[in-house]
Amino acid sequence: MHSDPPPSLEKRYARIGVVLIAPTVLVFCAVILYPLISAIYLSLFSIYTPTLAGEWVGVDNYTALLASGDFWNAALNTLIWTVGTLMLQLVFGVAMALLLNQSIVFQSLARSLVLFPYFLSTVVAVLVWRWLFNDLYGILNHVLLIAGLIDAPVNWLGQMPNAMISIILVGAWKYFPFVVIVVLARLQSIPEQLYEAATIDGAGPFQRFTDITLPQLRDVLVVVVLLRAIWDFKEFDLIYLMTGGGPVRATQTLSLLVYEEAFRLNRMGMASTYAVAMMLVLLGFTLVYLRQTNRLEEG
Amino acid sequence: MTDWLSIEGRSITRRDALKHLAAAGLATAVGGCGGTDEDGTITLRWWSTQGAPAQRAAYRTQIDLFEAAHPGVRVVFEAMSDEGYATQLAAAFASGEVPHLITHMPSFAVQGYYAHGLIEPFDDVIEAIGADEFYPGANDVYRAADGRYVGTSIGNTAADMLWIRRDLMERAEIEAIPETWDELRAACRAMQGGGIYGAPLPYGLNSANSLTFIGFIHRAGGSVFTPDLEIALDQQATYDALEFYRSMLELCPPGATGYSWGEMLTSFVSGATATGLYAGRVLANVAAQNPQIADSITCALYPRMSRDIPAWTYNDFPCVCIPSAASNKAEAKLFAASLFDPAGYIPQLHAAPGHVLPVLETVAENPAYRDNEIIDRYPQEIDLMASAAAQGYNLGFETTAHQPNTKAGEIIASNAIAEMVQRVVLNDENPQAAVGNTVTRLEEIMRS
Amino acid sequence: MNASRARMIWSVVTWTIVLAVVFPLIWMIVTSVKPQSELFSIPPTLMPETITFEHYRRLLTDTPFLQYFRNSMILAVTTTVVVVVLGTLGAYSLVRFKYRGRETLATLVLFTYLMPSVVLVIPLYLMMAKLGLANTLASLVIAYTTFALPYALWLLRSFMSSIPVDLESAALVDGAGRMGAFVDVVLPQALPGIVSTALFTFILCWNEYLFALVLVNSDSVRPLTAGTMNMLITSFNIDWSLLMAASVMMSLPLIVIFTFLQGTLTKGFGAGAVKG
Repeated sequence: MHSDPPPSLEKRYARIGVVLIAPTVLVFCAVILYPLISAIYLSLFSIYTPTLAGEWVGVDNYTALLASGDFWNAALNTLIWTVGTLMLQLVFGVAMALLLNQSIVFQSLARSLVLFPYFLSTVVAVLVWRWLFNDLYGILNHVLLIAGLIDAPVNWLGQMPNAMISIILVGAWKYFPFVVIVVLARLQSIPEQLYEAATIDGAGPFQRFTDITLPQLRDVLVVVVLLRAIWDFKEFDLIYLMTGGGPVRATQTLSLLVYEEAFRLNRMGMASTYAVAMMLVLLGFTLVYLRQTNRLEEG
Repeated sequence: MTDWLSIEGRSITRRDALKHLAAAGLATAVGGCGGTDEDGTITLRWWSTQGAPAQRAAYRTQIDLFEAAHPGVRVVFEAMSDEGYATQLAAAFASGEVPHLITHMPSFAVQGYYAHGLIEPFDDVIEAIGADEFYPGANDVYRAADGRYVGTSIGNTAADMLWIRRDLMERAEIEAIPETWDELRAACRAMQGGGIYGAPLPYGLNSANSLTFIGFIHRAGGSVFTPDLEIALDQQATYDALEFYRSMLELCPPGATGYSWGEMLTSFVSGATATGLYAGRVLANVAAQNPQIADSITCALYPRMSRDIPAWTYNDFPCVCIPSAASNKAEAKLFAASLFDPAGYIPQLHAAPGHVLPVLETVAENPAYRDNEIIDRYPQEIDLMASAAAQGYNLGFETTAHQPNTKAGEIIASNAIAEMVQRVVLNDENPQAAVGNTVTRLEEIMRS
Repeated sequence: MNASRARMIWSVVTWTIVLAVVFPLIWMIVTSVKPQSELFSIPPTLMPETITFEHYRRLLTDTPFLQYFRNSMILAVTTTVVVVVLGTLGAYSLVRFKYRGRETLATLVLFTYLMPSVVLVIPLYLMMAKLGLANTLASLVIAYTTFALPYALWLLRSFMSSIPVDLESAALVDGAGRMGAFVDVVLPQALPGIVSTALFTFILCWNEYLFALVLVNSDSVRPLTAGTMNMLITSFNIDWSLLMAASVMMSLPLIVIFTFLQGTLTKGFGAGAVKG
């Protein structure tokens, strides 16, 4: 049993704790605080991006945003995209991690190769996928045609619902290795003894999974879901380069609108407004999510 | 930080903020960012969106020539992202860390920046190059509302030429290259078949779609704006163009609903379509990627709705311009002018033969320019493109009678036109309603 | 008998999926050794008729690719070291020490992720310019450290919290100082988490695009992604052969490094299993 150190030692330990976390907090404050605040601040102005000059409009940007159909359309698309790709990332990620935790030939090579989608630059990844999806010289359609599964090339990106499905699939392919890395690392530190004891008690493989593996994975999965949800929600490059938000705004997410306002329409004020809206959604999600997962832990 | 955020009156400017910071002693000299070194060497930074290896080699030649003639001046080339230059320039302008020279941006981008005071007038550089050397009217697109020139073109690009396969024409027994829309449709229909499609028109939600369609509005006899920059979109020509564009969809490959420039180029070059809509890059790419069809390709002006409508060619007029906040502007102007010396200019044009065409008439006729494999092989095509591009237009300058439109860049970037096309052609929405919505969007952009 | 048959089945299943996942890499490699005339053959071919290394040669001799590679290496290694050190210490602080505002701090650092980077990039660049760091690798190291630290903290925190306190107590009883216990007990146990964090940070630095594009402009300090994209991709034309060669060269070294790391550290993982 761990006995609490005397109060003066507690205080000294607490000081060490603060010292250890201080550099992180310093970096965070110094670097990100100013951009965060200026982004929020700019949302109250109408700003021409290249000069960052503009005039005060107060909440006009916000009223315009809430009134525009584009915002709600993008919000819905973002929700569909995020939920779709996140679920696939989780399922594939955990499954792959379990597989890679088994004894297989060339295990280290397999574990490294599976990271490939994640460390390939998004720009190149999208270009290659557009090539693979192409109707004339793309190998995907070619193989499906030869196999007799289709009789005309599929338009993967230029029509709905194909476009949304395609980006969800490519998003899952691109980011599931993140889940694999974390889950695999966690699996490595689950003691063998637990499984041995359960097997002796007569538990089958599925029961060992639900009774031992899943609870042990819970903590990291909580973090993984949080991080991936935030990042998928904000994802820009993949969708923008893949479909541009089309056809006709059917895959336009909030992050595309932010970019469109900021650098294509040169309206940094409005872009900041969209960004603040996104931030509020993410903030709400994060707080609710953390409270829920903490409550479950205590309970 | 607080200085930047303080409001003086009701508007804030970056310039005020920077002045405060300089006063507070926070602005530090930035080495390696251009300007003058301690030993007096001036370093000029040259930003361009065209930084392919072949072009870099040509730039090297030009830089070496200039540095030899001007000891004490160094030039450093830095490539910009063609898709993301707006972001890079926004950061540069906002911080004052601007390059000394910017090239290869579309003319309407330069006009837009000039309207906000970010670009230096270019009249003296044009004089230094020799105003008569240019094709007649070549610099009109760069004349701003205040009468001065905001830059000039480093090259011309005839971006929407009709490319066509003579062997497929023969096979389909088509005698003459189509000149009207009806002829084009008939030709494409006749040539389509056996895995080959008629045309690779872009129907994606992107700038290729917007820019191409603006060309079709003109070839139907209309324009997006009136010469005084009132919105003219709700006109018969737009509906005619929409109808034509819709009728061509069945003659395009199935993925055309998502096509952009890349697919337009590769579809024709790979032989998958009988016609193409593109700039001179086709010639070099065919030579490298599909030499079998190299002898069968030719280009022509893109067909119009009827023969009495004048031809109209889209030229993005890749620019040369100088930011107004740059240091050492005199040297920068000298360098800008030197880019047009044939000794360096011709190698630069040869790095993208047929695609970047000379803006100086004298260079176009120079035998050294002609001494290039591609240019030598396709003389008629090169001449046609050069003259078409020199008389070309874009949304920033729709006809010689038009005022310069400084919002053209934002309009293209907003995809408003592309969205209109998609709504009518892909979603089958009512054309009047779609055009009406687009007019509202354009009004909003013009106002902002 | 059963064990090796199980091994074979798992291997076949796993490798089938792995090969499907890396099919784009296979496509990239095949394309990068095809001559340009075979690029867009219809129907598409997987095996090239002729193999050429011309594109690799051009990439290495005619372009600043190696310079970009070196920049990316310096950037990635530096940032990874900084993030691992700061993150490990910070996570340990959050897990083992009690002080006011501990939970709030942990949640606050997540604020880094709440805004899309598009609206953060210009104010960040302005700040760097004022500090005299515009167009330097240091500005990227700072930026990427800021983006990596929050997930480093949270990941490492969840790994460390699963390490039983008893082990450290035992070490403390044995006379080790607080930090001694940290080094001898916690670090080895948290190694999988630390390696994961290092991997993610390295990958972030390796292929991040927007900040690399805006914060640095000179070829002498430009990292790989921004450098190769700007050089080979324009809206009118993409140099596919060079791009595929560059992408393969950006990927293969990482695969080699990761394989090597996984191999040496897996042995460490197994040996570090907690004995009850």
